[in-house]
Amino acid sequence: MALDLQPDFEQLVDEHQSMVFSLALRMTGDRGLAEEIAQDVFLELDRHLAKIESAAHACFWLRRVAMSRSADALRRRRVRGLHLCVGLEEHHGAPAEERTSPLGARLEQLLATLPEPQRAALVLRYQEDMTPEEIAATLDAPVATVKSHLQRGLKLLRAKAATHLQEFVRGKECTRGI
Amino acid sequence: MDDFEEKLKRSFERWPAPPSLKHRLIENRRRRKEHPRWFALPFAARVAVSLCVFAGVFSALYGGMASYHAEQQRKGEEARRQVLLALRITNHALDHMNQQLAAHHRLRQN
Repeated sequence: MALDLQPDFEQLVDEHQSMVFSLALRMTGDRGLAEEIAQDVFLELDRHLAKIESAAHACFWLRRVAMSRSADALRRRRVRGLHLCVGLEEHHGAPAEERTSPLGARLEQLLATLPEPQRAALVLRYQEDMTPEEIAATLDAPVATVKSHLQRGLKLLRAKAATHLQEFVRGKECTRGI
Repeated sequence: MDDFEEKLKRSFERWPAPPSLKHRLIENRRRRKEHPRWFALPFAARVAVSLCVFAGVFSALYGGMASYHAEQQRKGEEARRQVLLALRITNHALDHMNQQLAAHHRLRQN
């Protein structure tokens, strides 16, 4: 079954599935939806494989399509009137606790409450370690807009973290005291 | 990058993709290749299918129109025959009446 795969395609899936899945998951907050998006993105890549020129181009292409598919999925959900911005812990409590620290899980939750453009900029900045210029190219937005989203998003996240995480730390200390 | 940003960076590591993702992706891809979608077909195949569909639709339309036309012609012919028959009957009746009038006229003259 796997033999009919082009080695390049399989290699690209192996290399980038975690990145595509993580982007979709952090943008949508829904594991099932993120898996669907990741599948769509790679099937789309398969159709456009002939146009991919290099590994860097593939990576750029995957990030760009993953972000735009995630935005589409969020838009579709908004149209259907479903509740958005579901915290990661609600859907992925166990994996989140397994993989990241409780503090990290809280930060993920807070990220899910940010407006979509700010979340997109922050995810690309801190998950993918991209510069504002690279983010602008990926999201097809002006660099100034991306910088503004980054600044505002970070400020908002910092403010939320200041209240939520203090309570969290205090709560942990109380638990230790008991 | 300040302390908070470092924390963010550490927290936002990539998640491992679900182990089933690749398997399902390969399965999906195989299914797509077996039953290709319209836009996945090569251009020549799409043109050929389009032409076949067009030819089918065209012959169905042409056949339908031809049969409608023939039916209309048959109805027209039938109506013409009926009108001619009616005219013949009328003509016959008028002839008959004319003969009777002529006979009556002759009787009165005598």
